[in-house]
Amino acid sequence: MGVTAPGHAVRLIGVSKSFGAVRAVNAVDLGIGRGETVALLGRNGAGKSTSIAMILGLQQPDAGRVLLFGCTPEQAVLDGRVGAMLQEGRLIPRVTVAELVGFVAGAYPHPLMVDEALELAGLTGLGNRRADKLSGGQAQRVRFALALAGNPELVVLDEPTAALDVEARRAFWQSMRTYARRGNTVLFSTHYLAEADENADRIVVMDHGRIAADGSGDRIKRMVGGNLVSFDLAGAATEGLAQLPGVASLEIRGDRALLHTTDSDATVIALAQLGLVRNLEVAPTSLEDAFLTLTDDRTHDRTDDLEYDLAVNRSEAPGSRKVTA
Amino acid sequence: MLDYIRLEIRRTLRDVGFVVFGIGMPVGMYLLFTNIGVDGREHASAAVFSMVGMASYGAVGAALGTGMGVAADRQVGWLRQLRVTPLSPMKLVVGRAVTGSVMVLPGITAVLLAGVVVNGVRLSPGQWAALAGLLWVGTLPFTLLGLGNGYRFSAQATGMVNVTCTMGLAVLGGLWFPVSLFPHWLAAIATWTPTNRFGQLGWSIAGGSLPSLGTAAVLAGWFAIFAGYAVSAYRRGTGSA
Repeated sequence: MGVTAPGHAVRLIGVSKSFGAVRAVNAVDLGIGRGETVALLGRNGAGKSTSIAMILGLQQPDAGRVLLFGCTPEQAVLDGRVGAMLQEGRLIPRVTVAELVGFVAGAYPHPLMVDEALELAGLTGLGNRRADKLSGGQAQRVRFALALAGNPELVVLDEPTAALDVEARRAFWQSMRTYARRGNTVLFSTHYLAEADENADRIVVMDHGRIAADGSGDRIKRMVGGNLVSFDLAGAATEGLAQLPGVASLEIRGDRALLHTTDSDATVIALAQLGLVRNLEVAPTSLEDAFLTLTDDRTHDRTDDLEYDLAVNRSEAPGSRKVTA
Repeated sequence: MLDYIRLEIRRTLRDVGFVVFGIGMPVGMYLLFTNIGVDGREHASAAVFSMVGMASYGAVGAALGTGMGVAADRQVGWLRQLRVTPLSPMKLVVGRAVTGSVMVLPGITAVLLAGVVVNGVRLSPGQWAALAGLLWVGTLPFTLLGLGNGYRFSAQATGMVNVTCTMGLAVLGGLWFPVSLFPHWLAAIATWTPTNRFGQLGWSIAGGSLPSLGTAAVLAGWFAIFAGYAVSAYRRGTGSA
């Protein structure tokens, strides 16, 4: 996995965090190289926000260590190497956008010019507006500007596009990519595979507090974002279905067979040759479905982290397929 | 840290509520108390007594008001956002305390000015300087109490707690009506309140004497208590700080 290589912007070593009986983050190892743009993809409660809070030093891990540029998160934050956009933060009243951005910029050793930060965040011309009198999308962009204002090497964005409309989302990612292209490291969390795929070099999938998969967008899409081919069994036998071309996993619901496939064309042709085309449907796998196939059957009986990494390798090893019934 | 103080002062001055209640209220009440139902001979002494009382009351209110801002900032997530900037927690708390003590100045100044201009209070320049200075320094325990409330309670609750503290301590401490009008048992309690001792600072200066050692000691005690309260509330309020 290369997590021991020097020069990591972010490194988590065996990090765990519980709230009461809930294990929010469970023995996570992760390394993010400098200049990488990484998406943390997962459902609500997958452990993304807790991981981010620990990366930023807002929460202390129960076990394990977090290192940013080789030092503690607190030190990296004090040194001005980190900027963050937290979830659900609102802007304080009675200040203008420029005052707010200028204030945060002034706390960093080598900040951006205020105008530059505003331009990057798509806020040109809004500097004199009161921060509490902005639309939701504008306020979100101000919070992004606050993350960039200090010109930090690492920017961490916790669900930055939640509550944004399509237009605002596009504008936001445009700004984010511009900032990333300057050689900065960006880590963001999201619920959306498409968003992660379009805007990140690498996707880390979290589920139940663990890393379920880690790889390029294409690699993750192959596992997570394939198609679901379903048809009526009408009493036909189910063995052999999991071995059909493209099929990653098989699920039987009543009399219906659901095949998660990375190559729906090949799967459908094979089904036709077997004479199994009855009420056939091909649909894109939803993220929910994808997570079920990725993780659910393994969370109960396996505790070794390595097993989770196999999820990635599995899609590339034709011999090893799993059957879910 | 200076930028933080500047930002917070700017925000406070744009708060219409602060300007009206933090400055206007004490001045209005001062003028009311000294000019209604007070006849000529009493007027001069009432003007001085009440000037100090109301300046103290305004200062206590403004000092505690610092906590309101803190609570509101915590509620919208601003304190969390500040924790991911290079500003250290120490700087943030001290910055807030400094802001709080600067923001008591307008109220103090306004009441003292009203004393001079409207009620014709005459003191020596040395007395004015000592009065303003001691009123200012003396608010520190109240700023810390306000900060503690702000770090500990929600924004709404902080408002209620602060108003209760301000009014209760002001009345009990004899800032509105002299303690000499209190029943004996209540007067005995009053002398231990921070507000009464805070008022004593000003009253002794206006009367031409230095504050007593006891007054300084009681205020120092309250300072320690409220400082401890503010620190523990900060730890609880912002998590593992």
